[in-house]
Amino acid sequence: MAKQRVVVLGPTTDDPLHHERAEMADLDVEFVQEAPQSEGEAIEAVRGADAIMMRGGWGTEQVIRAADAAKVLAVYSHGFNHIDVDAATDMGIIVTNGAGMCAEEVSNQAVTMALSLNRQIVQTTNQLRDTGDWSNAPFLPIEPIDEQTLGIVGFGNIGRQVARKLGQGWRMDTLVFDPYVAPWIISEYNVEQVFEINELFKRSDYIVVVVPLNAETFHMIGKEQFDVMKKSAYYINVCRGSVNDEPALIEALQQGKMRGAGLDVFEQEPVDPGNPLLQMENVITAMHLAGSSTRSAWLARQRASQQVAAVLRGEWPSAGQNPEVTSKLDEKKRMPGTAGHISGPGD
Amino acid sequence: MSPDAKDIRVLFLGPKNLRNGTADDFPHQSAAATEMGAEFVVYDGDSDGELIEALKDADVAMAAGHGVSPDLFVHMGNNGRCKGLVSFGHGYDSMDLGSAVENGVVLANTASFGTEEVSNQTMMHFLVCSRKFVLHDKLVKNGTWTREHLAPMGHIAGQTFGVIGLGNIGRTVARKAQAFGMKVIGYDPFVSSWDAKEYGVEMVGTPQEIAKRSDYVSPHTYLTPNTHHMVGAEFFNLMKPTAYLINCSRGPVVDEKALIEALQQGKIAGAGLDVFEQEPVDPNNELLKMDNVSVTNHYASYSEVAWSRANTQLGEEAMRVALGYWPMSLINPDVRSTVEPRKWAVSWEVMLADQGK
Repeated sequence: MAKQRVVVLGPTTDDPLHHERAEMADLDVEFVQEAPQSEGEAIEAVRGADAIMMRGGWGTEQVIRAADAAKVLAVYSHGFNHIDVDAATDMGIIVTNGAGMCAEEVSNQAVTMALSLNRQIVQTTNQLRDTGDWSNAPFLPIEPIDEQTLGIVGFGNIGRQVARKLGQGWRMDTLVFDPYVAPWIISEYNVEQVFEINELFKRSDYIVVVVPLNAETFHMIGKEQFDVMKKSAYYINVCRGSVNDEPALIEALQQGKMRGAGLDVFEQEPVDPGNPLLQMENVITAMHLAGSSTRSAWLARQRASQQVAAVLRGEWPSAGQNPEVTSKLDEKKRMPGTAGHISGPGD
Repeated sequence: MSPDAKDIRVLFLGPKNLRNGTADDFPHQSAAATEMGAEFVVYDGDSDGELIEALKDADVAMAAGHGVSPDLFVHMGNNGRCKGLVSFGHGYDSMDLGSAVENGVVLANTASFGTEEVSNQTMMHFLVCSRKFVLHDKLVKNGTWTREHLAPMGHIAGQTFGVIGLGNIGRTVARKAQAFGMKVIGYDPFVSSWDAKEYGVEMVGTPQEIAKRSDYVSPHTYLTPNTHHMVGAEFFNLMKPTAYLINCSRGPVVDEKALIEALQQGKIAGAGLDVFEQEPVDPNNELLKMDNVSVTNHYASYSEVAWSRANTQLGEEAMRVALGYWPMSLINPDVRSTVEPRKWAVSWEVMLADQGK
C-alpha cells in the first residue's frame, strides 16, 4: 500500500512536527508541509491528501471540496468556526478539533477575571501605581462572592470546569444555560439549569460565556440580554468575540447597565487600539490568550496528531465534530482512550 | 418538514401484565406525549406479528419490561413509520445494534436515571465492608461484645479506590470516594484524558493495575462480551489480601466461582454485592454464608424518584425521536450515518418552547 499523505497547512514549511511524527510513528505516512498564500495554493495543497492538519486558516468550501481523498481534517484549535463543516461532511471527511486541549487554561482565565472583577485587582493596582492614592472608596462595595450567583452560558468541557471551580470551590450558586446539555450532567454538577438565556442574565452576578462560535451563537448576546442584567453584575467573555454584539456591549457599559466586564476576545482581532472597551476603567482585558500555557502549546499538537492517527488506523476519533458524516472508514472502531498514551508532562 | 406533535403516535410496550389501559394508567410514561399533545397508545398484543402491525401505526415505540426481537428492526426506521425505540433502564445487551443501524432505527435508553442510587449503594457496600459491619452487627445481636475481630481495618482516607468503567455511575462513585479522602484510580479504555482529568481520576492502562493497587475495587461497566468475567481468578490473585470487591453493576462481570474461591482462600478481605450471576440468588450460594460479604437483592438503582424519573425520561426521549430530534441518550451513534439529518437533542423545556407549547 502506498504511503498515506498527511498534509500540514501552517505558517511555515519547516516545522519539525515532533508530536505529529511521534504519534504516527507506527504508520506508513509521509508529511507534506505547505504554507499557502492563497486559496488556490491551498486547493492545490490538499488535493490527493489522505489527511489534512490545519494550523491556521483555509478551511473554506472550495479547499475542502478539493480534498477528494481526505478521510480526516484535524484543526489544532478548540474552535473550528473557520472550517466549512457541512462541506467536509458532504465530502465524507471527519472533522476533529482539540477538544479539552485548553479547558484548564480557559476556565482559569474565566475564574481569574471573575475574581479580579470582584476584588477590583486591576483597578486598585492602576490607582496605586499611577496616583499613590490610598482611598478605597472607588472600589466599594465589594460583595462576598460566596453569596453571589454565577451564570454560565455553554456547559461543555470549559463551562463544567468553571462550575467546578467557582460553583463548588467558591460555593457560588450556579445557573447554566445550555439547551443541549443532558439533564444528568446538570445533576452531576449540582447546578440549576435555566431554559431562557434572559433569565440567566437577569439573575446572575457574574456571567461567563463559553460556547463555540457558529451560526447559532453568532451575536446570541446583545442589547436584549445586557438590558436585563443587574447593574451590579459583571460580564465575562473568554470564548469568541462575535458571540456578543460588541457595539451593544460598549453601549451597555457606557450606559451603566452592568458594573464591568472581563474580555479575552473581541469581534476584531487584534483589537483596534481605539476600541472604547480599552478605555474603560471597569473593563479588564487580555489578547485572546485564555487558552495559552506551556502545556496547551504541545497538547494541541499531540491531540490533533492522535486524532489523525486514529482515523488513519481505521478508528473513529474521540474528538470528531461531524458525527453524521458517512466516513470513508471501512468500520468504525472506537478510538481507545488515552490512558498511558499521553506522553507529555501534566496531562 | 418537521412532524406536528398532534399527529404523533407513541406506542408503549409494557410487561405482559400491563398490556391494557390508557395514558392515565401510565402517568409518568405518558407525561411527555400528553404535554406535547401527542397520542399515547398502550400495546395490547402478544406476538411479533401483532407488534409489527402495531409498529406500522406508531411513530416511535418505548419499551419497559418488554423484550424486542431484532427481527422487528426491519419493519422500522428507514423501512416504516416507527423511527426508533426507547428502552427503560441502562442495559441494552438484548438489542441488535448492528441491525438497528442498518435499518436506520434510532435507539435510546434512560441513561443515568439511577446514578445517585447506584453510586450510593456502592458507597454503602464499601463502608459496610470497610467497617466489617456484617460481622459486628451479627456479633452484637448475638450478645457478643468483642473487639477481637477488628484488625485489620482500613483508615479509608488515603486509601485507594479503583473504579472500572467511568461512565455516569463510575465517575459519581469517584467523586463520592474523593469526598472520603480517597485516591481514585480508574480503568476505562474509552474515556478521554480530559474527562479523566476533570474527575480527578488517575487513569491506568490495564485492569490488572487496578487489582494490584486498589483497597476497594468497583466495576461500573455494562455487561458485554468484553466485560463478561473481566474480574476473575487472575484479577483476584493480584488483589491485596486486605482489599474488597464491590459489585453493583451486573453479576456476570465477576466470575462468581473465582470470587468464592478467592474469599475462601483469603485472597481478598471481603465483598459487597448487589448482583449475582444467577438471580434470584440460590439460597445455598456460599456468598450468603460469609461474614465478610454484604449482600443486597439487585435494587441498587431503586428509589421512587429514580424510577419515576426513568419513566418520564422514557417518554421525553420517545418524543424527541418522533419529532425529528436526536435523543439525549443515543445508544447506537453509528445510526447517524444511515438516517436523514435530525435536530440536536435539546432540553425538554426548550423542546416544548420550540414546538409552541
